Amino acid sequence: MSTTIEPQVHERPEHPEAHPAHVSYLQDGYSIWSWLFTVDHKRIGILYLVFLTLFFAVGGTFAGLVRTNLISPHGAILDNDTYNKTFTAHGVVMLFLFLIPSIPAMMGNFFVPIMVGAKDMAFPKLNIASWYVWMLGSIVAIWALITGGLDTGWTLYPPYSSRFSHTNVVPGVFGVFILGFSSIMTGLNILVTIHRMRAPGMTWGRLPLFCWAMYATSLIQLLATPVLAITVALLGIEAASNALGTPIGIFDPALDGDPILFQHMFWFYSHPAVYIMIIPGMGVVSEILTCFSRKNIFGYTAVAWSSVGIAVIGFLVWAHHMFVAGISYYAALLFSFLTMLVAVPSAIKVFNWTSTLYRGQISFQAPMIFALGFLVLFTIGGLTGIPLATLGSDIHFHDTYYVVAHFHFVMVGGMVLAYLGALHFWWPKIFGVMYSDFWSRIGSILIIVGYILTFMPQFWLGYHGMPRRYPNYPPEFQFLNIMSTAGYTVQLAGFLTIAAYLTLSLFNGKKAGTNPWAATGLEWETASPPITHNFEHTPRVVCGPYEYSLNMTQTGGRADVR
Amino acid sequence: MSASAGALKHHFEDIEQQRGAERLGMWMFLATEILFFGGIFLAYTVYRHMYARDFADISGRLNVLVAGINTLLLLTSSMTMMFAIRYAQLGKRRPLMNCLLASAVMGAGFMGFKAYEYAQDYHEGLVPWASNFGKEVVPDPEHHDGIEYTLNEQWEKSGVSANRIRLFMTFYFVMTAIHGLHLIIGIGCILVLWGRAYLGWITPDRYVAVEVTSLYWHLVDAIWLFLMPLLYLAGPHHSLHF
Amino acid sequence: MILQHTIMPEQASDMAWHVDNVIWFITAVTGITGIGVYLAMLVFCIAYRRRTPNAIGPAPTPRILGSHSLELAWTVLPLLLFLGIFGWGAWVYNKALHPPADAPEVYIVGKQWMWKIQYPGGQRVILGQNSLAYSGDIGGEGFFEGVMVLPVNHPVKIVVTSEDVIHDFGVPAFRQKIDAVPGQYRATWYQPTRIGTYDIFCDQYCGTNHSLMVGKIMVVSEKDYQDWLDGKWKTGPGKNAVDGSLAHQGRQLFQKLNCIQCHDTQKSKAPVLEEIFNTRRPLKGGGTVIADDNYIRESIRRPRAKVREGWEPIMPAFGPDKVSEEDLIKVIAYIKSLKKGEMPVRTDDWVAPVGAPTEPPPPAKTTDGGTPK
Repeated sequence: MSTTIEPQVHERPEHPEAHPAHVSYLQDGYSIWSWLFTVDHKRIGILYLVFLTLFFAVGGTFAGLVRTNLISPHGAILDNDTYNKTFTAHGVVMLFLFLIPSIPAMMGNFFVPIMVGAKDMAFPKLNIASWYVWMLGSIVAIWALITGGLDTGWTLYPPYSSRFSHTNVVPGVFGVFILGFSSIMTGLNILVTIHRMRAPGMTWGRLPLFCWAMYATSLIQLLATPVLAITVALLGIEAASNALGTPIGIFDPALDGDPILFQHMFWFYSHPAVYIMIIPGMGVVSEILTCFSRKNIFGYTAVAWSSVGIAVIGFLVWAHHMFVAGISYYAALLFSFLTMLVAVPSAIKVFNWTSTLYRGQISFQAPMIFALGFLVLFTIGGLTGIPLATLGSDIHFHDTYYVVAHFHFVMVGGMVLAYLGALHFWWPKIFGVMYSDFWSRIGSILIIVGYILTFMPQFWLGYHGMPRRYPNYPPEFQFLNIMSTAGYTVQLAGFLTIAAYLTLSLFNGKKAGTNPWAATGLEWETASPPITHNFEHTPRVVCGPYEYSLNMTQTGGRADVR
Repeated sequence: MSASAGALKHHFEDIEQQRGAERLGMWMFLATEILFFGGIFLAYTVYRHMYARDFADISGRLNVLVAGINTLLLLTSSMTMMFAIRYAQLGKRRPLMNCLLASAVMGAGFMGFKAYEYAQDYHEGLVPWASNFGKEVVPDPEHHDGIEYTLNEQWEKSGVSANRIRLFMTFYFVMTAIHGLHLIIGIGCILVLWGRAYLGWITPDRYVAVEVTSLYWHLVDAIWLFLMPLLYLAGPHHSLHF
Repeated sequence: MILQHTIMPEQASDMAWHVDNVIWFITAVTGITGIGVYLAMLVFCIAYRRRTPNAIGPAPTPRILGSHSLELAWTVLPLLLFLGIFGWGAWVYNKALHPPADAPEVYIVGKQWMWKIQYPGGQRVILGQNSLAYSGDIGGEGFFEGVMVLPVNHPVKIVVTSEDVIHDFGVPAFRQKIDAVPGQYRATWYQPTRIGTYDIFCDQYCGTNHSLMVGKIMVVSEKDYQDWLDGKWKTGPGKNAVDGSLAHQGRQLFQKLNCIQCHDTQKSKAPVLEEIFNTRRPLKGGGTVIADDNYIRESIRRPRAKVREGWEPIMPAFGPDKVSEEDLIKVIAYIKSLKKGEMPVRTDDWVAPVGAPTEPPPPAKTTDGGTPK
């Protein structure tokens, strides 16, 4: 077996018509069965995309109802019970049906195999099974939310959720339980793919940062989700026993249980879960920033390892959600300290990304606007996490709108922008068509502006003490609440704009070439859209992923060849 | 190359990559199981620390003889699974099938003893959501005055809280039931392998299927090895009975 | 100072000042850093924008892979800054968790959807703005207009628990909150520093009326606080003496004994009793008397001994079998505390308590109707 690497002759992917057997994955079978029984990771990514879009719209509708109700200090359109069910539904749908699967199950499934130079994921059948499990869990969860509803908040704290709430707690947690399996399956697949299926020459140090991010995310998905599963299973058993009239207590203090134990177990998953939501977005931002400033990433090793660092330390900080719940002073000290540690890798990334722009050649198409928007908004989100990690100030901010603003900044201002950026960056590769450049810039700016209008006022509201989950509030908070709702409508306009031009592009968008952005990753060396097996021949990787300054793709060819 | 042509799946480059992926995938899955059970083990341990006396009382009443037999069954079945891997590698179909069947039968034996134990628990009034909880008369290890006491009476006299016993029994049933469910799934997988061996589909180059199934089986066994002392050996037993 | 009058909520406790200091320090430092990053981004995006419009092709950018010294700097410096902030925050948290040893304890029980507050002397306040639509769920109780009163510049330790689900007693003006966990006691403390009225919110989601489980804290001077505890000072016009004080117990007796039947301000058959203590009252048949404790007591025990000018001697006597000496003191305390407009209004659909006289007895034939003093 030869160990030398032959001088690379860059092979351009052949035009599909030259080899009728190697059609694009979209044309490889048109029946509904060829989609529902596919094992092609790209088709599975599209299946996820369709329903992610639908669920985002559902979650966004719940958000609209919440914000509209908050126009009046006494609840403008909903009574208290309905409002409580609405914000719970907003949280459950947005977190479990959109944010957690968004980039991992859609972009991760589609691009990780291509980026490592493989023909498919390690376990294609497990992949399509993960989609079916996700659909099943979604159906159960949405059924629970719509018929009767769930009014516990997505955090499900007992004893309220197990003994006092007369809503669909058991079917709701059952849905969440099933959804967890889908998350584990996706994570497992991505981990094994990155470990075992890298093409020759694709060393760990040459992996795109998106793959590093997906690796770190998958670690969390694999290891944290099972703890959520057992926690909601125990809660479900307790709630069911109450509903059936033979109460057993696991977390119920009336039966010698400990409700704080639930909080520990719940947050042991749910804190790492928020890193599942943000780390993939950070990976996307690395891809976009490098491409649109035509520069190598500043500090590849630091950015790569910071993703892993966030994942690992992220497992150790869960009780920072419980500083006023009555944990001991020493426990609080420990968790606040560890939370400060987890902030450092994120800070490193922000500085490294900013430095990547230095002496670049920057252009501002929609993917770049989203990535720059991410940089601005995620920074605010991350920095406002510091007063929450700090013990003295968290007492004041806990359970107020300050926390709501903080997490929306990182999840929407960060993750949703990154998701949209990923969609806009890879759209020509996924579908082979290009969308309107003009409208995409409008859409991205609308969302960023609307977003800031919605959530900036909430920091002030939280500082002044307005609590979360309040349909009735003191009248002096009304003006800022109305401003926040106005921002929602601007965001809505942005999302509708994006949905419109992206859908239109599928029907009459300009055909995209192999590499419309002149990017350097392996995915830009396949056809647009890729053939079913991704590559005609197994690629041989000779350099790192961001050699823009050398105008070189990962297999040694020229990056500007379209 | 030709010997493994049938075993190689289309998206892998070579058989070693495939085997490596399959093994790694199974180990990762086992990691999720460890965290799943770890969660409930942790919750149980917290309560055992808080309610040590009550948990000791009820743990001492569980049937440790049956639990011991079950432990032996699982350990032996893990051994036969390891032999099965070797026979698969050597292409010896009959011994392979016998070892697989032995593991499956011992697993089923475990479930049979478990069912017996559950029925015994019910008759002793130890099922926390049943209406007869605490109301059955059982032998009293602490008071030997010849009078028969129900469990509730015994607990009241020794200052043990019925609520905490209920908590223990809830954990007992949930933990053993989840473990049992995993065991049944494992038996199913072993029987599927047995069927494939019967049809001649497990050739030496396809032995990894037996190896990963065996890994899963070992994990279920290992979980039992932690579960059993945690639940059954948390307090002194006063008698060994069937 | 500017901040205090525009952006900040009121700082009404000792801890509030410390917490605000931490918050503003963090905001300033992270704000400056954030603005620094944004400035860098802006400058780079302008200075290094692509000149050839929208052309995507080979670009002469330098191959910068990183800088160990820069990266080390922006790893270590943020870490040190964060750890410093951690230390300061931990110090403030430590202060918040450990009340001074001599602080009196006020007990607070949270329940869906109200707060029941108990003072060491037995005084009780109930807070909550439940809508009457849910009065069925909560035992018929509706709006609670209680106000929690605290003295300025004195520490108080609050001990909180819950009867049902997890709640949280939060006071933004004090920058403090603490979860109310069923089955456990949690404690924190305040030293109010400014007189005023501040919001109380429930800060842990607890069901339908979570947002109505709110109330007010009134911080008053020490004298007013003492008077309030004694039932002499009320928190507002039309408010009653605090539950648990003698005056409040007297009020309950006043209604239970059905004194309100005649001493009603609307359709009175007897003198209005608001603000009569220590005033000179004209008597029937000439002469005046100072309405002191003894006079009031005599008016209850032997009402026909001294009858007020302009009224008939129709009040029944309330002997020790109807009103014990201790209860008498409470009623007198109530009457002494009454200010204008505080007498409850008797409405026509009030049902008289069981055993209470429903009509004034006919005028007595003799002048002496009660037992001797």
